[in-house]
Amino acid sequence: MTERLVWDGVVTVMRETFDDDRLEVSRETTADDVDGWDSLSNVELIVALESRFGVRFHTGEIARMRNVGELVDAIAKRLPDDGR
Amino acid sequence: MRWTREDEVAALKGLIDAGRADEAWRLLLSQAQDATDAAMLMALARQRRRLLHVGSPPPAPARARVALIGAATTSLIEEPLQLALQVSGVDCTLQASPYNTVVRQMLDPASETVAFGPDVAVIVTTPEHIADWPDPYGSAAEVQRAVDTACDHWIGLCRSLHERTKCEIVLDNFHPLPLRPLGAAGARTPGDRNRFIQAVNAALADRLPPYVHIHDVAGLASLYGAYRWFDPRFWHQGKHPVSFECLVPYVRTTAQIIGAIYGRSAKCLVVDLDNTLWGGVVGDDGPDALLIGPGDPLGEAFQAFQRYLLELRRRGVLLAVCSKNDEAAALAPFTQRREMVLRRDDFAAFIANWEPKSVNLRRIASVLNLGLDALVFVDDNPAEREQVRQALQEVRVVELGADPSDYPLAVDRTGWFETVAVSAEDRRRSAMYRENAAREELRSGNLDYASYLRSLDQQARIAPFEPSTLDRVAQLTGKTNQFNLTTLRLSRSELEAMMDSPDYLTATVHLTDRFGDNGLISVFVGRAEGDELWIDLWLMSCRVLNRGVEQLLRNHVLDRARESGYRVLHGVYRPTPRNSLVRELYPSLGFAAGAPIEGGDHWVLNVRTAAPLPTTIRLAEDALPMLQESGDD
Repeated sequence: MTERLVWDGVVTVMRETFDDDRLEVSRETTADDVDGWDSLSNVELIVALESRFGVRFHTGEIARMRNVGELVDAIAKRLPDDGR
Repeated sequence: MRWTREDEVAALKGLIDAGRADEAWRLLLSQAQDATDAAMLMALARQRRRLLHVGSPPPAPARARVALIGAATTSLIEEPLQLALQVSGVDCTLQASPYNTVVRQMLDPASETVAFGPDVAVIVTTPEHIADWPDPYGSAAEVQRAVDTACDHWIGLCRSLHERTKCEIVLDNFHPLPLRPLGAAGARTPGDRNRFIQAVNAALADRLPPYVHIHDVAGLASLYGAYRWFDPRFWHQGKHPVSFECLVPYVRTTAQIIGAIYGRSAKCLVVDLDNTLWGGVVGDDGPDALLIGPGDPLGEAFQAFQRYLLELRRRGVLLAVCSKNDEAAALAPFTQRREMVLRRDDFAAFIANWEPKSVNLRRIASVLNLGLDALVFVDDNPAEREQVRQALQEVRVVELGADPSDYPLAVDRTGWFETVAVSAEDRRRSAMYRENAAREELRSGNLDYASYLRSLDQQARIAPFEPSTLDRVAQLTGKTNQFNLTTLRLSRSELEAMMDSPDYLTATVHLTDRFGDNGLISVFVGRAEGDELWIDLWLMSCRVLNRGVEQLLRNHVLDRARESGYRVLHGVYRPTPRNSLVRELYPSLGFAAGAPIEGGDHWVLNVRTAAPLPTTIRLAEDALPMLQESGDD
């Protein structure tokens, strides 16, 4: 899966979880920048991402991921290489 | 294109954005009923929050104040639970307590929960909250003491909360641990943690008072698997009591128990015949060629499904047949194939014709005096299921796969027949409905209704509430919708309090006739206000409508009122969507219109001057023989 598809998927899931269809994020976006991204909805976000991408995050990652870029990287490194 | 979760949520969002609230609620509730994963349920819960701003939900049959008390974090459960309760027909006002304040909430008379005054309290716990584990290598007696201590702790908490609020309590039991440090030897070590958990669960089940309903988390975790049930990551991160994967069954079963407390569970399973109860089409293949029973794997699968349905029937779920067949053909396998587990007598209604199934389902509901929302429809044919779904939105339709081996599980895992207590009445209900059908036949052969009633040879016992009948009284009070003058829902404990109070005149009617025992079929509560008596509750099972029980009970109450020196009986009819049947009950029993009151019609009867009304029912002085059975729950 390409980086692009992971990115699009993460944005889609974030828009759903935080219920904001027009949410725009960058790699540097943190929880503080997004309305409603608190410790609870973070759990929901993690699980929604796990379910969408079929991955499982590490306990340490769940606690320490600082921004959207780290989230995307944590997913991308778990997905099979698309051969490019 | 595959219909994905986003598409479904998008369809819902579209309706909400367009302000089409009614359609949106319908779609939301049906999606929530079908949702199997937590992310979907969460997404729907979020849409529900938006939708509440657009338009109010369809009126729910029951309302409840629900306190959610978590030894663990409950924040992720709150909204899905509200949604699941709505699916179960309960409109709830929910209050969640602060994290890990269980003991204070339940013991402190000034706690938020006590102040809230819940109808139902849901207690969320996990094995992580067991404080005093026994020494794994301690003696059996030491372990038993630890079991008693744990059990005393929970019973004490429940009793304290209940005494202050009179609420019903839904309490999680403890799920098995996925870890087995003692290995296989744990199974023979009384102090092993999983053995201890089993012992505590069993002791709780034996000892908890009737107002506590066990949410069988241990059973659920064994169905889904202990490895999947609990996600240690989210325990360590946020003290979440259940994995996200299993959040849906956790929340849904909790809601279904509360639904069952409020009588919202389905009561009748309506089943198709060809390729649902047996393999093949009886009209084409003939009874001898049908696959049923040993000798063929499919035949065995169909037989196993019949055995499952028989278990439901035995615990009081009504069964009915709705089949497109000639009636004679549909009946043939029941007499000609001895491998059939179900007999014709197991069905309270049997309809085989060529009309649309929706028409026949309506007929079944009407014959059995049930609302459409009490029916569950099981049919292997997707087209029939769709026809019923579209024509009758209230009927719950089981999504069956193509393989009959999966049928029992497909029905079982819906949880639509959830029950909080299986009473002897439940087990006998099927027989009672069948006897009723026989009475109807007799009735059509008797043109004169009065002589029909006499020929029924009815005998009744009227008694105040008694400990042995309270379960049944509570059950009827919770679920009777049609013959119910006030539709006042009272908990078992409220009813119990009336039993002992001099300010209340309570009565139950137990009726037999020459076809059998109708059981306890009517409940009455009168409340004293000075020398006048207000009828707060009067309900009756519709099975015995117009048989003279109304007159008999009215006469009885009049006599008791006269003995106790009351001057006036006040009756109130409070209209609901379901009880128009009894709008004219009071005037038909000689009551006169009373002063107008809010929310209903007011009727009065002068106790001194009113004369008894005729009835053909004989009064029994002593307990009727079948009454003994209600003690063996």
